[in-house]
Amino acid sequence: MRDLVNVMWKEIAEFLGNQRSLRVFGVAVLIMGVLPTLTGRTTAVGDVAALRMAIEALYVLFAAAIVVANTAPDLVLHERVGRTLEYLIATRLPDSAIFGGKVLVSAAVGYVAALVAIALQLVANAVLAGHGFSWLYLALPEGRILALGLTADLALYLAVVGTFVALRVGDQRGAYLVTILSLGVVIAPFLLGWVHIALTTAWFAHAAEVFGAVALLLGGLGVLLFRREMLVLYLQE
Amino acid sequence: MEGSAIECRGLTRSFGSRVAVSDLTFSVPTGSVFGFLGPNGAGKTTTVRLALGVLRPTGGSVQVLGLDPIAEGEKVRGQCGVVLDQVGLYERLTARQNLEFAARVARMPSSERPGRVDTALRRVELYDRRDDRVSGFSKGMRQKLGIARALMAEPRLLILDEPTSGLDPENIVMVRELLLSLAQEGGRTIFLCTHLLAEAQRICDRVAILQRGQLLAVGEPGEIAGHRGPSVRLRLARMTPGSRVALPAGAELEPMEGDEWRCKLAQEDDVEGVVAALVAAGVGVRRVTSDQLSLEEAYLRVIGGDEHA
Repeated sequence: MRDLVNVMWKEIAEFLGNQRSLRVFGVAVLIMGVLPTLTGRTTAVGDVAALRMAIEALYVLFAAAIVVANTAPDLVLHERVGRTLEYLIATRLPDSAIFGGKVLVSAAVGYVAALVAIALQLVANAVLAGHGFSWLYLALPEGRILALGLTADLALYLAVVGTFVALRVGDQRGAYLVTILSLGVVIAPFLLGWVHIALTTAWFAHAAEVFGAVALLLGGLGVLLFRREMLVLYLQE
Repeated sequence: MEGSAIECRGLTRSFGSRVAVSDLTFSVPTGSVFGFLGPNGAGKTTTVRLALGVLRPTGGSVQVLGLDPIAEGEKVRGQCGVVLDQVGLYERLTARQNLEFAARVARMPSSERPGRVDTALRRVELYDRRDDRVSGFSKGMRQKLGIARALMAEPRLLILDEPTSGLDPENIVMVRELLLSLAQEGGRTIFLCTHLLAEAQRICDRVAILQRGQLLAVGEPGEIAGHRGPSVRLRLARMTPGSRVALPAGAELEPMEGDEWRCKLAQEDDVEGVVAALVAAGVGVRRVTSDQLSLEEAYLRVIGGDEHA
């Protein structure tokens, strides 16, 4: 655990020292935080209100997805470019700490982006829309599950995928695109009609549980499969 | 295994059809300075990675500090300080943060870390730059910081892979002096991969020469360089094979190329008598140098011999 914390300390320091990542973070939360208000909220009821709520909450997921898809590959690729991977694998840090630290920090950064986007949405709605303060979708349990629960699942899923993708795809942009496209695996069942969305608390709770389990399973698989020897072969390519 | 910091027996590693190191058998005595020499692509870095347990051998075995680097890799790497060819400092972090991370990895108590970091920075004269990002450091400064990072946890085994690679002459001297002081301190084993044969001859107790993944020679620098017995090389003026010179007993002059002559001696101290005899005979003595084969010459002979084999 201590090794994991130490790797996370380093990854966070690296993230905060990376101006490009900070810019992506800032732009993502700004756009996703203010856009819902700028597109105009209208008073709606029933299913339309529920749909509106879901769409507003999706902005938060987008913020998390953009930030994680950028951060996770960067934390691997930057080490390759800077030749610090070679140093990292020569330390006594276990494989699990190296992999886990990168994944957890990427996921955490994405989740923080989501929280900041939510805060911006609340402020923007209160100040720009002139509706006074409102908890928006957070007032509803399904809104909270979507914005807080599913976002966490998504952040972890993309962090695991992005870290592994970066080991195979050598450039930042390519890794970012492949990571984002991995969302297709999650969305495909809905597009193909295999799974139907119901805008109910029970459905969202179940979806969060299932997606969370998938993300944790993927993360566990990643920890089991990741070996520092992979990084040596990766460096030699 | 006692007495050896590194023990390789038939160590082999292949990458597909390419054999990176083949059947390496050598040992690094504990407390010694061991030079690992070879051209680019010889397999030095692969051997270092095998010793650290970062790569698995495809054949043979290696033990480091009595441990198996694969089965007990964390323990092995925890007792080693490593400076790699590309140093590997985090450019987005400051000098202090880089050492702080190394201190955390080494599990230093949090109360000790600031003091140890500051001491390490002072040792390599980078204390004034402690809060500057490494991205702004010169190559020499990065090398110093890398060495400081490797030494901070007081490792039993220090592994340096081309520590002077890419440095200008001034910084090469700096690193050489640092290595010399480390070697003189004693108490730790130093495994040095280097191209600088003059330095290897000066500071290494034993050396090994590697070429195309195979060990060509291993032993003390003097053994590899080869002893001819006491002799000196002279550049002489007005000297011919017919010249009569009353040399000390046991001394014998033989011509080489141009105005170069080799003089075999009965003992080292006879060189003064030889010079005096030559001067007395009217021969001009322009230069007197050691005739022992340098490690560099021996290295080139060994490598060259392998290439012609």
